[in-house]
Amino acid sequence: MDMIEVKNLIFKYPQQEVYNFNNFNLKVKKGEWLAIIGHNGSGKSTLVRLIDGLLAPESGEITVSGIKLTPETVWDVRSKIGMVFQNPDNQFVGANVEDDVAFGLENAAIPREEMLIRVKQALERVGMWKFADHEPVRLSGGQKQRVALAGVIALKPEIVILDEATSMLDPEGRLAVLEIIHELNRVEHLTVISITHDIDEASKAQRVVVLDDGKVVQDDIPAEIFSHRAGLIKIGLEPPFSEKLKEELIKQGIKVPDEYLTKEGMVDWLWQLFSKQ
Amino acid sequence: MGKVLLGRYVPGDSIVHQMDPRAKLILSFFFIIIIFLANNWQSYVLLLTLTIGSIMAAKVNFAFFIKGVRPLIWLILFTVLLQIFFSSGGTIFWRWGPFNLSYFGLINGAYVFCRFVLIIFMSTLLTLTTAPLEIADALEKLMMPLKKIKVPVYEISLMLSIALRFVPTLMDETAKIMNAQRSRGVNFGEGNIMQQIKSVVPLLVPLFVSSFNRAEDLATAMEARGYRGGEGRTKYRVHYWHTSDTTGCAVFVIVMLILLFVRHW
Amino acid sequence: MAMAIIFKTVNYTYQPDTPFEQQALDNISVEIPTGSYTALIGHTGSGKSTFLQHLNGLLRPTSGEILIGEQIITTETKNKELGELRKHVGIVFQFPEAQLFEETVIKDIAFAPKNFGKTEAEAEIIARKMARQVGLGEELLTKSPFELSGGQMRRVAIAGILAMEPEVLVLDEPTAGLDPKGRLEMMRMFKRLKEEQNLTVVLVTHQMDDVANYADNVIVLEEGKLIANGTPSEIFSQPDWLVEHHLALPKAGEFALAFEKKTGYKFSTLPLTEVSLARQIASLLHEGGGDVHHG
Repeated sequence: MDMIEVKNLIFKYPQQEVYNFNNFNLKVKKGEWLAIIGHNGSGKSTLVRLIDGLLAPESGEITVSGIKLTPETVWDVRSKIGMVFQNPDNQFVGANVEDDVAFGLENAAIPREEMLIRVKQALERVGMWKFADHEPVRLSGGQKQRVALAGVIALKPEIVILDEATSMLDPEGRLAVLEIIHELNRVEHLTVISITHDIDEASKAQRVVVLDDGKVVQDDIPAEIFSHRAGLIKIGLEPPFSEKLKEELIKQGIKVPDEYLTKEGMVDWLWQLFSKQ
Repeated sequence: MGKVLLGRYVPGDSIVHQMDPRAKLILSFFFIIIIFLANNWQSYVLLLTLTIGSIMAAKVNFAFFIKGVRPLIWLILFTVLLQIFFSSGGTIFWRWGPFNLSYFGLINGAYVFCRFVLIIFMSTLLTLTTAPLEIADALEKLMMPLKKIKVPVYEISLMLSIALRFVPTLMDETAKIMNAQRSRGVNFGEGNIMQQIKSVVPLLVPLFVSSFNRAEDLATAMEARGYRGGEGRTKYRVHYWHTSDTTGCAVFVIVMLILLFVRHW
Repeated sequence: MAMAIIFKTVNYTYQPDTPFEQQALDNISVEIPTGSYTALIGHTGSGKSTFLQHLNGLLRPTSGEILIGEQIITTETKNKELGELRKHVGIVFQFPEAQLFEETVIKDIAFAPKNFGKTEAEAEIIARKMARQVGLGEELLTKSPFELSGGQMRRVAIAGILAMEPEVLVLDEPTAGLDPKGRLEMMRMFKRLKEEQNLTVVLVTHQMDDVANYADNVIVLEEGKLIANGTPSEIFSQPDWLVEHHLALPKAGEFALAFEKKTGYKFSTLPLTEVSLARQIASLLHEGGGDVHHG
């Protein structure tokens, strides 16, 4: 079943001449983790804002969880989607951690008794319950993003969209956020769309779509995308380490396999190469 | 930063911290009103006792209160001096043109000084023991009747709480931009007036730009999280009126009654 | 002018004698040699940004002294003397595009040199030169900096610091928020600038690969204390120590360890970059175990 379907989408920003999307199509399956990559300005953020009804298309059809997106249904559609944005500071609405998680619940008019339960559960889920009364100034970027995720979890959406949510975090913060997403996707089968430049994040996805100038230029499993090592940098993705190593091995006159290898796969392959000697 | 203590919350779990912010807000206003009833030393001693008692109940370091007075000290001294030199009555010790140094003047000066200090102590106590957001919350509750005359109470209180939430963020941002521009050779607070005005531009322009960007991001994030205006929202934060709040109010009312009794009519 | 930077038992305390007192630098003694490419690493709250602000006198040590070139900075140093210092040490802060404010790109780049006493005409000549150096096209110079893309704004800000013609260039996570292509271009640009202009570079980063690829000297801070100082190969030579301090190895080093564990081979020195890793593997394959010992 398709969780999201984008059909014949046409969109440009009001002050601009050029179309960001001209007859764009995309389907996302239920329970799928889709990574969208592309260099800055390729239309990734615009696309997810259109899906969430934060921008309105000129024409075309967007369907989310069986609901056709129209001005009347936009709030229903948004209730299916939880979004985490890039800048941890600029999406923290509440005065402290628990207030921020509650903000979305208040908007959805959830009764207070249930709010108390959901806020606590969501914060425990992301490991932030002991910071419940902390103000945002006392949190690191990674902690703020975990709070943002708790805000999403508390609303029990079907889809989570991460708009470069890890790009401003340090490596530890990034790992913590990714681990939570991984669990939401694998255990609770939430559909995940993540916009990213980070190879670790992209490699967790089941499918990678490469955007360029508002068009899908590649749509495949991560391994296939990663194996085109020459083109990766150009499309806005840091090549995986194993591909960079292959490049250097070739320079040393060593024949390397064409298919993408993970780090472990690469060690195994080298081990075999050595055993053959 | 660090100097202005008005508006700095110090977390704690004393009786005063746990009081309903509405009660604290009402009592602070109430105190400011009844202080104008005081007109002899007995009444000031009474109010001083009340203030000291409240401070002790809050278990907050007294140094905070002294520091709270310091930024306003010139304003206080100016007012006190006006009182001293421009009121007459009683024994006159010294006279020069329109200036008088009289017995009443000295007494009035002392009263004005006490009035200032006590008001500052009490309002410092409110802000030290009540998180800014709780004050905003209390204001929302107390303004509720205004909804009848179409005042957008929810929106005002959300604006207020978001503004409060972003104060530290903007202070941070200001410090960062100042550092960046000082590194580019700007000297803030030096030179003549013209130079000082000029040095503000490299600070204000980036600050405005970043604030607008933040506001836009925040609006998008709020919309994505389902915010569609104040109507029909539920509230996570509620306040319960405890016995301690009733007791607190009772204490203040009793003090007022005693005050009415001891004051000079 | 030789611009070695030497910290001698430097302490720095925020808001001393208040309930909010906090010691950010704790007895730091370290040298940043002239002409070095020094990486400064440590977690959030380790004191990195406080350390940076001492490099051009934005902060003065609470106690101890800092030698920068011929100048000594102590807690008593006057603001006037610090102004002079700021000409020689340029700091590119995190997300430096936040400092742009002029009407045109060229004016913004020329801002610092004008503040430091250059005439309008001189400043403009320097600004044009620096714009070229960071790869900004001529057509962008008369535009408003706010019309540019994020990556271009970053370049304008960096040019604005280079225009001071500093001897020391301090970079605080200069590639944060850029896409991988922008990141790579930016790191290569700094390397080229360093070589062409004989700069001393101080780089604050979380990317251990950048440390391995570009730096020749590493300073590690933790909770305001200096916990290590040495070359990248010295710093990364003890994996256990790194784990203990929550620091990562460069990817090549991590791979080399995994390779050693799987195969039982031992590299004579732990390779830290893809290039040296590939070389060591190749030499092993070709010579049947040149500098790799079967264990």
